[in-house]
Amino acid sequence: MSTHTGMAAKRKAPDRRMESATKKRRSPTRVNPALYLFPLPAVAVIAFFLVMPTLQAFQYAVTDWNGFSAAFDYVGVDNFIRAFTKDSLFTNALTNNLKFVLLVVIAQTAFSLVLALLLTKNSRGGILLRALFFFPTILSSVSVAFIWKFIYDPNFGLANSVLGATGLQGLQGSYLGDSNQALYWVAVTQVWFHAGQMMVVYIAGLQSIPRELYEAAEMDGANKWQQFKSITWPFVAPATSIVVAYTTVQSFKAFDLILGIAGNPPKSSLDILSTRIYSTFANSEFGYAAAQSIIFMAMIALVTWIQRRLLRLTPKGE
Amino acid sequence: MSQISRRQAMAVLGALGLGATAAACAGPGGSTTPGGSTGPVAPATGDITGKVSFAHWRGEDKAVFDELIKRFVAKNNGVEVAQDISTSNDYNAQGLQKVRGAAIGDAFATFRGAQFKNFGEAGIYTELKNSKAVGNYQKGLLTAGQSGDSQLGLPYQVVFPMPMANTDLFDKAGAELAPKDWNAFLNMCEKLAASGVTPISWPGGDVGNGGQLFNCMIANNAPVDDMCSQIEQGKLKCTDDWFIKMLNQYKDLAPFLQPNATGTAVEPAQNLFSQGKAAMLATGSYHIAAVRNLGAKFPIELVFPNTSTEGKAKYEGAYNATFILGVNSASKHQAAAAAWIDFLSEPENAAYYANQTAQHVSVKDVEYTNADLKRLSPWLDKRTALAARFQFQNLDVRNAVEASATAVISGTSPEQAAEAAQKIVDERL
Repeated sequence: MSTHTGMAAKRKAPDRRMESATKKRRSPTRVNPALYLFPLPAVAVIAFFLVMPTLQAFQYAVTDWNGFSAAFDYVGVDNFIRAFTKDSLFTNALTNNLKFVLLVVIAQTAFSLVLALLLTKNSRGGILLRALFFFPTILSSVSVAFIWKFIYDPNFGLANSVLGATGLQGLQGSYLGDSNQALYWVAVTQVWFHAGQMMVVYIAGLQSIPRELYEAAEMDGANKWQQFKSITWPFVAPATSIVVAYTTVQSFKAFDLILGIAGNPPKSSLDILSTRIYSTFANSEFGYAAAQSIIFMAMIALVTWIQRRLLRLTPKGE
Repeated sequence: MSQISRRQAMAVLGALGLGATAAACAGPGGSTTPGGSTGPVAPATGDITGKVSFAHWRGEDKAVFDELIKRFVAKNNGVEVAQDISTSNDYNAQGLQKVRGAAIGDAFATFRGAQFKNFGEAGIYTELKNSKAVGNYQKGLLTAGQSGDSQLGLPYQVVFPMPMANTDLFDKAGAELAPKDWNAFLNMCEKLAASGVTPISWPGGDVGNGGQLFNCMIANNAPVDDMCSQIEQGKLKCTDDWFIKMLNQYKDLAPFLQPNATGTAVEPAQNLFSQGKAAMLATGSYHIAAVRNLGAKFPIELVFPNTSTEGKAKYEGAYNATFILGVNSASKHQAAAAAWIDFLSEPENAAYYANQTAQHVSVKDVEYTNADLKRLSPWLDKRTALAARFQFQNLDVRNAVEASATAVISGTSPEQAAEAAQKIVDERL
């Protein structure tokens, strides 16, 4: 026993030394400095293309710089005050944008979920239809804008032609030319453009729900609506979270679609925040446009956060 | 020495971050204004060599410029000219940022008005007062390229932002082409409508093209010639009687436009005209080539919507001198760029450009052989008003003021439309 203990003690002493040396070498807080060189290119790219422009936006936002002069004045928060109190074009664009986001988020989320529910099964027809609904997503937004510009044209457009041919002349309209309706028609285009993409996200979510849950629910006598409410909806919550957040950001930034469909500059009925910022830049008001950009960023963050809270897609504290 | 701690690494990255912040905070306007403080100077002289970038927005003229470039290069060995073309809307919005620094645009064109002014303020133009080209232009048309004592640019094109007319349809309807006042103009529209065609095709869904009609409507209504500058400065108001009267005249026009005119883009409007479904296209002579390409075979004239009463018109038309050519003060190939502008300004080359593109030019002694240009040439000698909408320096103000006309055609009352426009003007005073 004692011999055994003595040998063990002898073995332990060098082990400890080795362990300590290893610890020294593999310290979690000490690494070979060469390793820090590897992320440097990425850090440089991020610093140059993301950090610096963002910081510059904050700096420009407190100036009245016109974009080309050497001279400029610091105006403090005047640009931000102006945006909310003295610029009806900006508040109009903000209102339009919030309306557009609301419309598109509700319609696109609902529509893509319905499509996904109908096309979850991997049948041949289902896969074909999925491809068909996904197809608009691979088009460029400018192409989509031009296709729908043609559809909405009041003189030669498809919409009025079909209505005319089916004896529904009374429903023919000006579409984008009607300032009360224009935003709704662009929302239809936006939903057509992206619903297929969101459908794919939902299908992935739906296919991960265990079949046994539905079988058990059926045995308990739950009808389809009860199954949807108690199984499908809670299980697709993560997918809904992605769809809602993505659609929100997409709707805030529908810049190319609006410019393609409504021209540059768009009429005030179709002016959203991104097009307004562009017009302000084009109007040689860089300082003010930078302030509008910061408000735009804050607005996206705020709306996304509110949506997630309202839909209870994010538990408190997460 | 061979190892650093995570904390040290963070410190290094933090220092880099601070460096980036400091660089970001270098202040706007750091790299600026070539020639800004001393005023514009003449383009450098020297060998006509190098690759010249010619920035403009006339995509439809590309082939014509290509041919002119071929001729220029044949005359000047060792020079190349490449066209950098943007769409007109993009060029209007981003032209200055693109051309500034001369990465593109050794030679360039600008729109008259806000863009020309901004280019001038940014010091992008060189002084062309003593250039070889300037002597080739009609003196009266050079003013659009002047700033103070300087001749910064050379307005190359003369366009008539007035409705184009299908004279065959006018003849068929027995409508007169030159109405002397507003009532005569409305009678003319009634006759055209009675003959079964749409009197006026108007692209109300396109802000840029739809706004051209404004030049005609305001010319004889405004109390002064610099009415748009005065609106922008707050000296005149959209709620003034003369402006409301003009909006009421827009209201008079509404029944004579194609249905749902405020939603019509420019291409369908051109189609209505070129297919003979509309008697007039309310854009301007710059669309002649486009409607010819769409198959219009009929003779084209210009009609001035004369808003005056009882023949007391100050103006009998509207024109614009635009496509203001300049040489970039930051260009490394100024001699070659200036030579290219000189070349374009020679009567022979200007004539080629004009006849091929169906656009009048400001260059003297140009012989127009294009049938449309020949027919419309008398307009060069008429009492025409310089297009007023380009007096606006602030594009938001311009769009708001013009939008009041669109609103009236949509059914808004002239008073309400005028108030809405004036609110936006007031916010920008």
